[in-house]
Amino acid sequence: MFAQIAFNGLVTGVIITLPALAVTLLFGVLKFPNFAIGGMMTVAAYMVFALNAQLGWPLVVAAAIVAVVFGGLSIVIDQLTFKPLRDRGGITLMVASLGLGLILENIARVFYGNAARSFAYELARPFRFLDIRMNREQMIAMIVAVVAMAAMYVLLTRMPIGRAMRAVADNPALALVRGIESPHIIRWTNFIAGVLLAIAGVLVGMDRALEPPVGNNYLVPVFAAAILGGLGSPLGAFAGALIIGLLSELSTLVIAPNYRIGVPLVVIALILVFRPQGLFGQPYIRK
Amino acid sequence: MISYLVLMGIVLCILAIVAVALNFQWGSGGMVNFGLAGFYTLGAYTCALLMLKAGGNTFFATLGAMTMVAAASALIALVTIRVTEEDYFAIVTLGAGEMLRLVSLNEDWLTNGALGLTGIPRPLASLVPFEYYHYFLLALGAVLLGGTVWLLQRIGRSPFGRIMRAVREDDVVAATLGKHVLWARVRIFAIGGAFIGLAGSLHAFYYQYIDPTQFSNIVIAYAFMSVIAGGRGALSGSILGAAFVMLLLEGSRFAKDLIPALSSDQLAAIRIIIIGVGLILVLIYRPQGFLREYRLQVDVASGKMKT
Repeated sequence: MFAQIAFNGLVTGVIITLPALAVTLLFGVLKFPNFAIGGMMTVAAYMVFALNAQLGWPLVVAAAIVAVVFGGLSIVIDQLTFKPLRDRGGITLMVASLGLGLILENIARVFYGNAARSFAYELARPFRFLDIRMNREQMIAMIVAVVAMAAMYVLLTRMPIGRAMRAVADNPALALVRGIESPHIIRWTNFIAGVLLAIAGVLVGMDRALEPPVGNNYLVPVFAAAILGGLGSPLGAFAGALIIGLLSELSTLVIAPNYRIGVPLVVIALILVFRPQGLFGQPYIRK
Repeated sequence: MISYLVLMGIVLCILAIVAVALNFQWGSGGMVNFGLAGFYTLGAYTCALLMLKAGGNTFFATLGAMTMVAAASALIALVTIRVTEEDYFAIVTLGAGEMLRLVSLNEDWLTNGALGLTGIPRPLASLVPFEYYHYFLLALGAVLLGGTVWLLQRIGRSPFGRIMRAVREDDVVAATLGKHVLWARVRIFAIGGAFIGLAGSLHAFYYQYIDPTQFSNIVIAYAFMSVIAGGRGALSGSILGAAFVMLLLEGSRFAKDLIPALSSDQLAAIRIIIIGVGLILVLIYRPQGFLREYRLQVDVASGKMKT
């Protein structure tokens, strides 16, 4: 029983990893918490639903195409909404992102209503390993998330664009001196975040049912993971997500499952009081 | 038509009180409240439960609701003890609001879960003839709204109001000047919270029936839209802002006449989209809002304060 719950927690954590990474990358470069990520996950998931369940494309193909398209779309969204507000301070951007999240969730609702839906793919029997029941969705989620994390690691540490992103996150002025232009990096960051969010949307829609609030329901755990790891730290987001996922599921042993969301909340509060920079973050210096 | 306007007037008063309270917390005090919907829920449920389960009258139930929301808000404000960035606080409030909503949905023994609470008593219902009751409620709402604006404006123009704005602009400077920033934040959030509790009580009186679906996060968008449109820091502007939001909301009802194929779910979603788009457009094109924040001005010739 314990092992089963821990396994479920691990899967939840791995799924949260992707949006947490998106949050942390966006925060690093743009310096505001983007609350629109929930709505973005929802819209991307419904786009995949349209291609997969309605047009009958295989789920993998649909997800891959939507991931790339949605990467582009999130650049457009950023240009339309956040670019004009760029120098107005974090709160303004944050409020705008909250509004944007509501818009996106409700665009999905206008087209598909409130009914829960699911992607079209063959269901498989769950298999057992050491008394732990693993269903195929969980295995797929694990593999996809781990591959995406590995790709992100290579991108951020080995590729010029990833290093440039980290440079801009660290110090935009210094990055500019070295010839790294931040508008270019902002576009790339949004593209990568869009891809991550689209993949996360599909995984979340597979794990639970696909309905309009699906993305926004993950907002608190995702931000808890990003804060726990230290906002702006990619490695931290990964560790934070696993811890939040595990703690949330394990908490169901002692508290009612409905209040799982209380766990990330308590974690955020404790972190803010005792270790504001997060597990892996640098102490935040306001410039 | 008249009765429609009266009902809209009551809803407007409730929304305006929420907006003014948010403007106090966020506009004047710099504390973002993304848990607004949860605090509003807490107010409405506390008020209803104090009457239904504890047998309190409407007056004490309202006071109880205000106290409850103020206490919960104060508790949440304590997390700013070490981290003062608004980003983090916003996320904490978002989570806290979600928790409060979940309690209203899941604690069946207390809140009756998804079924909600029915038969909520109304103030002075035995004295006011039924056919005039909505007029009375509108008058009550308007008086409470006026009182809220008056009181919060008084606080905003008192010495504490100056501390609030100092903390909002730069908490380090405020602390350097010997102001207790955490205590100020707790008070700002608690005072605003009390009036969110008042609005929640009015909500319970008006609908007489509350269930968790009435308190979705959309309330947050409405309130922020009202504050931003009315002008951050300008408390009375939030009333104009709330009227603007109501105009958008009620105006979009006519979308149903233009496109009859829309279902009520779709229509509701479209109205939220309109509010969201409006919010972003106002932020981009008219960030200063309708009215400006009060500033203390002194007439040089006479040395007296201008009001």
